[in-house]
Amino acid sequence: MDEQSTGNERFTGHGAEWRDSKLKSEDARIATSWVEQKIDRRSMQTGKDRVEDVRDIMWQLEKDGEIVVHRVCDGHEPVMVKTLYGWDKKIPTRRLWHHKSCGQCGNIPGYPASLLWLMNRLGVEYLDETDQTSCTAWNYHGSGIGNLESLAAVFLRNFHQAYVAARAQGLPDGYYYPLVHCGTSFGNYKEVRGYLLRSAKLREGVRNILGKLGRLVDGKLLIPEEVVHYSEWLHVMRDRIAATQEIDCSRIRATIHPACHVYKMVPEDAVYDDAILGGNRVAVSTGIMEALGAQVIDYSTWYDCCGFGFRHIISEREFTRSFAIDRKVRVAVEEARADVMIGHDTGCITTLDKNQWISKAGGAGKGVELAILADCQFAALVCGAHPYKIVQTHWHASPTETLMEKLGIAWQTKKSEFMSYLDEVKAGKQENLYDPRRMITSGPGFIPIAKRV
Amino acid sequence: MAHTTSTRVQAHIGDPVSAKPPVPRGKLEEIFKDIQSDLRYDHELNGCLNCGICTATCPAAHYYDFSPREIVQLLWTENLEGIFDAMQEKIWACAQCYTCAARCPFGNSPGGLIMLMRETAIKHEMESAKAVLRPFSRVMLKLISTGNQLAPDMITPEHFPDWGPNVSKIDAPLKLLRKAIPMPTLNTTATAWEVNLKTSVELYTIWEETGVLKQLEGIDQNLFDVIADIMDEKREDWKDYLADQEDEKDE
Repeated sequence: MDEQSTGNERFTGHGAEWRDSKLKSEDARIATSWVEQKIDRRSMQTGKDRVEDVRDIMWQLEKDGEIVVHRVCDGHEPVMVKTLYGWDKKIPTRRLWHHKSCGQCGNIPGYPASLLWLMNRLGVEYLDETDQTSCTAWNYHGSGIGNLESLAAVFLRNFHQAYVAARAQGLPDGYYYPLVHCGTSFGNYKEVRGYLLRSAKLREGVRNILGKLGRLVDGKLLIPEEVVHYSEWLHVMRDRIAATQEIDCSRIRATIHPACHVYKMVPEDAVYDDAILGGNRVAVSTGIMEALGAQVIDYSTWYDCCGFGFRHIISEREFTRSFAIDRKVRVAVEEARADVMIGHDTGCITTLDKNQWISKAGGAGKGVELAILADCQFAALVCGAHPYKIVQTHWHASPTETLMEKLGIAWQTKKSEFMSYLDEVKAGKQENLYDPRRMITSGPGFIPIAKRV
Repeated sequence: MAHTTSTRVQAHIGDPVSAKPPVPRGKLEEIFKDIQSDLRYDHELNGCLNCGICTATCPAAHYYDFSPREIVQLLWTENLEGIFDAMQEKIWACAQCYTCAARCPFGNSPGGLIMLMRETAIKHEMESAKAVLRPFSRVMLKLISTGNQLAPDMITPEHFPDWGPNVSKIDAPLKLLRKAIPMPTLNTTATAWEVNLKTSVELYTIWEETGVLKQLEGIDQNLFDVIADIMDEKREDWKDYLADQEDEKDE
């Protein structure tokens, strides 16, 4: 006898063809737990057997004499982490070449400055130099101008420069290992590396170009053993960073915005840790926030993108701001009662940070406000970095002041200090995180070590 | 009754009651062949059961008449007219987040397929692509001429009025604020970081060798001309630098 004939109305929304499975409660529990396991615990694991580890191809190509692999060596003091399928990934912790992000440097400069400040604090050797381009992937994804070959050539060119950059300091090739700041660069470079390793035709095309640029190693393409994002460095250094913490953040309710291009592009390379949110979310950012003692609060739209859209943030901003407000910021404020949203990518931080003011246009009670910071900015802040000189919060449109008040930071005093500091900058007395003479490694402005005073 | 082609969509799909095909079959095949011949095509398209997980998680599908499932179906079934039609507007709605790719049970990447379609729209110099990309030209100019995609001087209240009054919370000249960033590479306003001259010149070679400049020329001749001038100038500067180095050696 079906439900209808008993007179019990049911509204399933599944349509007329839907029939109750009539499972016993124990069977229903097993079925439900199977679904939860597949969906909540990394649903992509079901396809594990169909996913190849491109690093296997990489080692074979090196063995065949076709490429040279830039290794993460002992000198980089790597820490091993687990990725989506439980594969190992080596994260270098020292001797790092900063591959900067155009969006971070141009728009939210406290992002890279906080990272370098943390490295100084931990005594990590690095190089920040001028000989690098953007990955060009923002433009590519936004406009379609560019192609696989151009993306691959840019990738190989920049990573070759990372490999040889230490020559300017009289140090050997491979001394520094590239650390990618931007999430889109990270996703794009990994995708491109995969295609380069799989396609002989693509390798042949870019080998000719890289040859013209003088950027081959023994006539071969140079491929990095790992493509490493800064958030992965922050993740493996989280306990060492937390050991230098000066400000208690246990009252802070933090939501995490995982960046699409960090864990949805080439997902098999994203870092997961069973001890962090049960391994159900990418581990970066959450790991450092938990290590610092903040309360990480889950929210229903964690999986959504930020609304950046590449082209949309420039020319279709109705989409960008609507998505950012309604699917991310409002949910974090109203559902998670968050004090801050933490991200680990350029476009996300920009989108979520800048698109809040317009929410007031929705009318009384519709405006939402939430401090938006990158994970390394938050870490630097609670480790005692200056909120304006280092974390550069004045470039953020979101209410970082409210967050600072909750952390017990007297931001008005710090702001006054910064205003006075600007007078010193005017007089040419700015403070830097490293010796400026190191930033040019060749070409105009380069000062060889022998000539440095 | 006479049918007019007054809207942009009509201009592309033609008169629905006319027997004459709006786009010749050969042209449609050529476009599809360009999409399909990309080496990524087989990697990004494995099959489709119309489950719609991609569309359910798609941010663009919330706000536009756009469905990644539809795009995959058009390609999977080789619906050439539908592909051409989607290339006029729909492919530009995609936010390129790759949520669809991460969730597809077949391992498809609708977002990746969209990129192949966008590249093809540009290769064929489609008017729709030109119109969509016009407001994006600032980014293309900055990137192709400097190697940086975004610069501090692009973030102004005039360009982003909806970002409100707090875009910079300290009232000081941009140049001074940039000097106060403790990374010397960032003490710039026209680029996100100081770019080595050699870097720019190498990038120009990549643009030329990979056909990117040709793409640009087809889509925006004026922008191409401006960029070509900048490139010539920087290449001259590089030549001068190399000549100076030679002179120094000789001395």
